[in-house]
Amino acid sequence: MFRVQGLVKSFGPVKAVDGVSFEVAKGELYGLLGPNGAGKTTTMSMMSGLLAPDEGRILFDGIDLALRPLEVKAQLGVVPQETALYETLNARENLRFWGGLYGLSGKRLEAAVDRVLDQVGLKERAKEPVKQYSGGMKRRLNLALGLVHGPRAVLMDEPTVGIDPQARLNILAAVKSVAASGTTVIYTTHYLEEVEDLCDRIGIMDHGRILAEGTLDELIRRVGGREVVTVRGGFDAEALRAKMGVLPGVQVTSSGSGKLVLSVDGSGRAAVELLGRVLAEGLPLEGVSIQPPSLNALFISLTGRELRD
Amino acid sequence: MPLLLRLVAKDLRRKLRSPLALIVALAFPLVFAGMIGLAFGGGGAVPKVRLLVDDEDGALLSNAVASIFTSRQASPYFDATTVDAATGRAMMDEGKASALLTIPKGFSSDLLDGRPVTLSLLRNPAEGILPEIAEQTAGTAADLLDGARRVLDKPLADLRPYLREGSRAPGDADIVAIALAVKRSLESASSLVFPPAITLESDPKAGAKAKGGPTTSAIFLLVLPGVAVYGLFLVADQGMRDIMTERTLGTLRRQLAGPLTPGLLILGKAIYTAVLSLLSLLVIAAAGAAALRGPIDVAAFALVSLALILAVTGVAASVYGLARTERQGSTLGNMVFLAMGFLGGGFIRVESLPAVLRGVAPFTPLYWGADGYRAILEHGAGVRGVLPNVAALGSMGVVFLALGIGALHRAARRGAVA
Repeated sequence: MFRVQGLVKSFGPVKAVDGVSFEVAKGELYGLLGPNGAGKTTTMSMMSGLLAPDEGRILFDGIDLALRPLEVKAQLGVVPQETALYETLNARENLRFWGGLYGLSGKRLEAAVDRVLDQVGLKERAKEPVKQYSGGMKRRLNLALGLVHGPRAVLMDEPTVGIDPQARLNILAAVKSVAASGTTVIYTTHYLEEVEDLCDRIGIMDHGRILAEGTLDELIRRVGGREVVTVRGGFDAEALRAKMGVLPGVQVTSSGSGKLVLSVDGSGRAAVELLGRVLAEGLPLEGVSIQPPSLNALFISLTGRELRD
Repeated sequence: MPLLLRLVAKDLRRKLRSPLALIVALAFPLVFAGMIGLAFGGGGAVPKVRLLVDDEDGALLSNAVASIFTSRQASPYFDATTVDAATGRAMMDEGKASALLTIPKGFSSDLLDGRPVTLSLLRNPAEGILPEIAEQTAGTAADLLDGARRVLDKPLADLRPYLREGSRAPGDADIVAIALAVKRSLESASSLVFPPAITLESDPKAGAKAKGGPTTSAIFLLVLPGVAVYGLFLVADQGMRDIMTERTLGTLRRQLAGPLTPGLLILGKAIYTAVLSLLSLLVIAAAGAAALRGPIDVAAFALVSLALILAVTGVAASVYGLARTERQGSTLGNMVFLAMGFLGGGFIRVESLPAVLRGVAPFTPLYWGADGYRAILEHGAGVRGVLPNVAALGSMGVVFLALGIGALHRAARRGAVA
């Protein structure tokens, strides 16, 4: 359904997106996982037609977005990262307006409004001005606005940022129900557990590039059953790198500024041997962490840092 | 419902839910004009000069001076009371009068003898204008008497013996001789006095106004056109500023992610601004109509209004086309509208401005709007009379609207608006 080919977008000297390509099949829930500044939102802005890419193209059902933007946009739903609502209007009025923009009217519009109000659990308070809503309710309405016209695909850009755990669970449940109805969803987040819980396939992004892509199982297999050991302290990481890199079953992923990240054989012996050698060096250690094979471990092994860094 | 209509309806509904800023913009011209009307109108209650006259001479000519202020003709402007010196001083000390005019003893005889005379006027420092009126009037009276004395020098010399205390009454022959002398003096001066170089023609309307003074509603209507047009610019500013407000809300970006072109969205905002201005104009016009005393040319009014709405929408679009943020636009708008308010006759009539500024005024749409309404209200202008205003406003509106929409469209296309 979506084919993204070689997207590049720069803002002045900064290359926000650097050759991103991926495909999303019809009915698939595709997650773009990456830390803040990875280029997820810029990619979504280009996919929703708000930003023109410097290079590359986006095809939706074979239609080039750059050539026939209105035709593509009419079939998409967009749920932006910030809550984009008219706070003086109530939920029903907001939904009527956005549904109307996509050509719905009369009974079809009213039925669509009722459907999404049900979907996000706001029917009881649909006549209250939005300014009286809690943050979580606004987030749910924000989601509903992207769904009211029954889009074939929805672009959701970090829809759970800044909300409490209960509201987050409500949003995730709504996203699952959207996906279950056969709507294609492209979902960006920097929460590992969200993509693990929701997504059929995941693309891991950092520094404007997709570093790895696949299902959760495929990605974890890609870690190769290896653990990631991170050693922190006031030592010369480059000197330590030279010493540890020669150990059997140990690969150095990255080093620098008092931090050494190593990928070790998941059997456990390699990690024990590694730690023994580190301690034997008598280095001023501040901490050691061991990540079992996981998406986070993959991210660390790919980037040398954690998602939250 | 067409897309454009949906966009406009949504914005109007939002404005209806949060109308405070609009109410303030609408109230400003009405309150401003109303306050000026109340301050300077008053519906006929013109304050009188409370003048005390201390006639210490008590002779023929001093009586004549006093009668200038006590006459029936002067009664609408002067509340004159004859007092003695002590009473006059006491009343002035108590602030019960605007001025005390003292006619000194020997005034009449000195005047008849051609000696210099002095009238003294004590002003009440607590009052500004009223004592000034008394002083100007007394000065004019003194000039008048001096002129009359020069013209009637010969007959006054003949009359002098009969005016002295204890003198005999003039006989019939004396009266005839003096009358003839007066006639000859006037005839000899007639080439200088008649025909008068300046003729004052009294306008019955002006006369009526002068009798009662301008009413509150008349002053209200005098002030309203300028401030109303200024207020309309403030309303239009709110309309076009909404494009920046929506940008802050994120709803602009969301709309542009939908099946809308940036051009349609900006056009929608311009139509919303025009509708908002039209509704505001109707409210102000209704208030103006309530104060109106006679009919006006409705077609001329409608034409000026439509052209003005085009102009205010265009100027506001240009302001927000130039601005990069809501705050920038708001600051720029306030500066532009305030400058136009002063230069275009929004607050002070253009005729009262210095010559340099009067020359600049026609370059502002506010001038043409206010001038058009004034022509209709004050001079009964019809469609033909306001055509220059309509043409100026219309062309300014088209130019500014094209500039503004063009700038906003370019900003939207490069992603700067969203």
